[in-house]
Amino acid sequence: MAASFASKCSRVGRSLLGGLGNNLSGLQSASNEVVGNNVWSQQQRTFIQMRTVLKVVDNSGAKKVMCIQALKGKKGARLGDTIVASVKEAMPNGKVKKGKVVYGVVVRAAMQRGRCDGSEVKFDDNAVVLVDKQGQPIGTRVFGPVPHELRNKKHVKILTLAKHIA
Amino acid sequence: MQSFIGGSIRLGQRHGFYSWSGAHFKANRAYLATNNSSSLIHGSNNSINSSRNHLLQSLGTRLGSQTKELMLPGCSGGCSMPGLSQLAAMMSTCSSRSMTTAASPTPDSSQSVTDVPPRIKFKRLDKTAKHILQILDKEAVEEVKAQREIPDIKPGNIVQLRVEVPENKRRVSTIKGIVIARRNAGLNTTFRLRRMVAGVGVESLFPLYSPNIKEIKVLDKKTVRRAKLYYLRDKMNALR
Repeated sequence: MAASFASKCSRVGRSLLGGLGNNLSGLQSASNEVVGNNVWSQQQRTFIQMRTVLKVVDNSGAKKVMCIQALKGKKGARLGDTIVASVKEAMPNGKVKKGKVVYGVVVRAAMQRGRCDGSEVKFDDNAVVLVDKQGQPIGTRVFGPVPHELRNKKHVKILTLAKHIA
Repeated sequence: MQSFIGGSIRLGQRHGFYSWSGAHFKANRAYLATNNSSSLIHGSNNSINSSRNHLLQSLGTRLGSQTKELMLPGCSGGCSMPGLSQLAAMMSTCSSRSMTTAASPTPDSSQSVTDVPPRIKFKRLDKTAKHILQILDKEAVEEVKAQREIPDIKPGNIVQLRVEVPENKRRVSTIKGIVIARRNAGLNTTFRLRRMVAGVGVESLFPLYSPNIKEIKVLDKKTVRRAKLYYLRDKMNALR
C-alpha cells in the first residue's frame, strides 16, 4: 500500500517538481526494499549465462562455480543443460581445486522450465553437479532434489544418485 | 397466414439481419400488406412504437419470447424505421436468399419449433468470434468438470495432488504444497504450488483441468488477504 502510494507520488513528483521528487524517490526506494510485491520488483528469472555463480550440490569438493560458457543455447543455459564453469570456492581437500575449469550439469534453476504436459517447475536457487567431459558425475553423492528433465538429457547417473526427484 | 410469417421469420433468423436493401422492401411492402392480418395494418395506422409492440406481441404469442428478444436488438440497433418496414425488410432478406427448406412453409415451421435449439445471437457482430470462443471454452470446462471432481482451489489452501508425470514413465507421484497463485483463463486455468523438497523450495505450475492430475485434495485452508502469495518466497516456509 505504501509502495503504491509512493510510486504514485514519485510519478507526480517527477513531472512537477524536481526537488520534491528527490525526496519522494528516496522514500520509494526505501519502501520498495521493504515491500517487494509490485511488478517492478518481481524478479524476472532468466538463463544461466557467463558470470553466473552457481552452487555445487555434490561431494566433488567445489562449493561455488562461476559459469563461463553455456554449451547449448544462445542466451544461456536452462534446467538440464551443461555448462563450462570455473571453480571459485572449494573445500580444502577435494577432487577439484579452486581455479579449475570444469563441466557441470544444471540441476536446479531459478528460471521456470516448461514440461510437455503444460506444467512448469522452478526452484529457489541455481545449482550444478560437476561432470567430466563424458557426462559422468565426478562426485559420488548428490544433495537436494533434481528434476525429471535430466532423464531426457540422458543424465541417468545423476538421477540414480539423487535422493529426491522433483 | 401467421404460420407463414413464422416460417419466414425463422429464415430471417438463420441469415441474420444483414443489409436491408431498399429496393427490395418497396416491392415487398405491397406483398406484405396484402398478406398481413388486419391487426398489422391497424398497427401501421397508429404511432410507430405501438405498431412495433403490436407486431412483437403478435409474433411473441406464436413463437415465444425468443423471437421478441431477437427482434428487439434489431429494432433498437440504430434503425429508426417504423416497425412494419423492419418486418418488410426481414421478409425481403428471406425472400432474396431463398433456401430449399422454405419451399413448404407450413410443415417447416412445425418441425423447426421442435428440432432447432435456440439460436444464440450476439449483439456486436465484430465481437462474434470472441463470444463464440468464450462459449466453447465454457463448454470444454463443463465437460472436464463432469468427468472428474475438481474442488475449488483458492490461494492459501494446502493441497495434495496425485500427478501422473509423463517423464517419470507414468508413475503417479503425490505432491503436497500451498497454493500461492491461481490464474483463471477458462480451460487453461493454472495454479502455482509451492513446497519444500529436501530443503529446497520448489514451485510448480499446473493446469487445473489437466488430465495428468489424477486427484486433488484440499487438506487445510489458511486465511490470506491477497490473491497472489508471492511474499512467501522470501519467508522460509518451515518444515513443509
